[in-house]
Amino acid sequence: MKSYLGLIPISAKVRRRQNRMTLLCIIFSVFLVTAVFSMAEISMRMEQSRLTEKHNREFTFQAIMDTSMGQNLLLVAGGLFVLILIAGVLMISGSINSTVAQRTKFFGMMRCIGMSRGQLSLFVRMEALNWCKTAIPVGIILGMAFTWILCAILRFVVREEFTAIPLFGVSPIGIISGVVMGMVTVLIAARAPAKRVSKVSPIAAVSGNADHTNRMRRAGRIGVFPIEISLGIRHAVSARKNLILMTGSFALSIILFLTFSVLLDFVGYLLPQSASDADIHISGEEGVNCVPYEIVETIRGMDGVKNIFGRRSAFGVPAQLGQEGMPQAVDLISYDDFDLDALKKDHVLKRGSSLSKVRGNSAYVLAICDEDAPLDIGDTIQVGSEILNVAGILKYDIFSGDGLSHGRVSIIASSETFVRLTGVTDYSLVMVQTTGDVTDEDVAAIGAVLGGSCSLKDGREEKTAGTYIAFNLCVYGFLAIIAMVTALNIMNSISMSVSARSRQYGAMRAVGMDGRQVTRMIAAEAVTYALAGCVIGCVVGLAIGKALFNILIRGHFAYAVWTLPVSRLLIVLLFVVAATSAAVHAPSRRMRNMAVTETINEL
Amino acid sequence: MALLRVEHIGKTYGSGETAVHALKNVSFSVPKGEFVVIVGESGSGKSTLLNMIGALDTPTSGKVFINDKNTFAMKEKALTIFRRRNIGFIFQAFNLIPELSVEQNMIFPLLLDHRRPNKKYLEELLTVLGLEKRRDHLPSQLSGGQQQRVAIGRALMTRPSLVLADEPTGNLDSQNSSEVLALLKDTARKYEQTVIMITHNPAIAHTADRVFQVSDGVLTDLGECRERGYLE
Repeated sequence: MKSYLGLIPISAKVRRRQNRMTLLCIIFSVFLVTAVFSMAEISMRMEQSRLTEKHNREFTFQAIMDTSMGQNLLLVAGGLFVLILIAGVLMISGSINSTVAQRTKFFGMMRCIGMSRGQLSLFVRMEALNWCKTAIPVGIILGMAFTWILCAILRFVVREEFTAIPLFGVSPIGIISGVVMGMVTVLIAARAPAKRVSKVSPIAAVSGNADHTNRMRRAGRIGVFPIEISLGIRHAVSARKNLILMTGSFALSIILFLTFSVLLDFVGYLLPQSASDADIHISGEEGVNCVPYEIVETIRGMDGVKNIFGRRSAFGVPAQLGQEGMPQAVDLISYDDFDLDALKKDHVLKRGSSLSKVRGNSAYVLAICDEDAPLDIGDTIQVGSEILNVAGILKYDIFSGDGLSHGRVSIIASSETFVRLTGVTDYSLVMVQTTGDVTDEDVAAIGAVLGGSCSLKDGREEKTAGTYIAFNLCVYGFLAIIAMVTALNIMNSISMSVSARSRQYGAMRAVGMDGRQVTRMIAAEAVTYALAGCVIGCVVGLAIGKALFNILIRGHFAYAVWTLPVSRLLIVLLFVVAATSAAVHAPSRRMRNMAVTETINEL
Repeated sequence: MALLRVEHIGKTYGSGETAVHALKNVSFSVPKGEFVVIVGESGSGKSTLLNMIGALDTPTSGKVFINDKNTFAMKEKALTIFRRRNIGFIFQAFNLIPELSVEQNMIFPLLLDHRRPNKKYLEELLTVLGLEKRRDHLPSQLSGGQQQRVAIGRALMTRPSLVLADEPTGNLDSQNSSEVLALLKDTARKYEQTVIMITHNPAIAHTADRVFQVSDGVLTDLGECRERGYLE
């Protein structure tokens, strides 16, 4: 030992158990950042090689960064960095605070034997940095392994546009940002505890009154709850800083969850996935409704065809809307049963719509119109001599790019109803969904039966399903990790808080508190944090989520309506309950099984 | 010349009706090399006085001079450095660092001062304290008496001119007590150190150069105990 700082690694070895949670927190932050930045860099490199191949000239990395995709990616990665930084600082600071609080006497003694305030503060910081020695490499290795697994999934499972993704890419940006994240979080997190420690009076070692900061002003009242529950709540509320940290970390995770899940909605709007998305489109060369209807049955039996369905259309049909009989031209479109079912699966029908009435030869149709349009479920439309009833309304215009119908009214009828109304049997558009193992020859064979009057558009390459799945995978993965970190953090904090009070609990056991009461006391403390965090997290999270929804989604898709995400709130509630009970389990068992004498005789 | 001068020290906790006067106008001085014992009931203010002398706690009024330096006039940082160079502390609860060996525990205060330990002096201390074979042991592997000897070694390692001991034998049996005490006295004499010790043990008080009694915050100089027939 050459310097007093030599005590740090020695002491770290002994205090490994107490520091385990702090280590885990650092590993998690480093891991997350490494994974996010590695993925970002690898996808940029993929884009780079794709562009190089496409345009047959070299693209520099800088050029990719300057594209809007590069800028967006950079922005997202930067935002994530800050979020992870905040989460990491909160978690690590919480656990450093707890470990430090338990060692007030030790620090007081250090002051007695001549450590200055500056040295104490440096000691705490260096102690925290010492954890980085192991945590950062572990986090980086985990992050890289995660990236490789993700790349493998993208390449072999999702395929689509990711077949060219490199499997074992090493990302310098990912590694550097991991290291930076580790050091920065730890240094920021250690600031407050270091300052607090430097104020420890040397008296703390001598007098035994180590707990100067937590001086009670007056004895608390024992309220309506049993004594052990009142005590548990008081434990949570009395240390304000700890309360803020614990509640904050609960709340932050919930906020992150509610915010990130809006991204899922965003992707849903950006890359709408419909059950009726087709791989092959067949349309007539000369105007509408000239794909012969017999052709559908011919193609249905061919190799590589999973589903086939067609649409007929009649544009600008004169009609009278509603009771007053306002005259307006409407577009009439026919849907096969498969297509109608897809509307239900895609959840585009408004509440109260009835699909079964529309099916077959009926007097019912579905309508698409603007919010301020004159049509509603139950209204009537007169087309020619027939009176049709509106059995359902769509939430937005599925035929327009921005989801708005701009005053146009479209009516969807079943195949049979359309034929009855118009007498037209041929299709304007026939769509084919192919099986997974369809070959180019199969598609060519379909093209061959069409003859000269129809043309085939092969859209197999244009599907966005791959990107959609990949993005969902990333967001869900991220949410899972947030959940895991939160659970760990909660467990850590409760455990720390209990260890810090183990003498007190020992004394309570000694004067007759039974095991179940100890559990209840610890549970009451945990529930206080959880409840407060839950309320704050849900309120703030919903507010941010709604704001994000308005900026990100409503800004582009005017028909989008924000609704209270009840299922997500339920998930949050379930998660908090599960995490809290898991957090209470281990420490309360430790306290129940503890020998009473063990703690009270401890110096 | 007096090594330690305490002038009109007073300490009051709280204010108004709830004010507690732990020390009332205490003054005395101790020359270099003297072995002083402070006795008194528990709660009488002994430890408070010792903490004031060691500048661990600040008095409500009065001054403390060590080597003619007014400790409470110093800035926090200067005071820390002054303390680690001039005052050695020994506690009833040993307060060793559990993860460090005997030798590391002893040189720790020197490392805080960015000084290299004097090997010869360290060996000498280890021999005097009877710890040369235990130098690599951890505190948990030592008996209470041995641990307290390590704490004495740590206090003496920086060659302080003043050693403050708060019931150093309070946790020891009589055999170990007398050994530790004899050691403390021998080393203090050998290295010309002033020792101020709190004790409850009349036998120890008996062997001191001088005895102070604190009662309800008031200090009485009982003088040299053998002359005055203290504790008869």
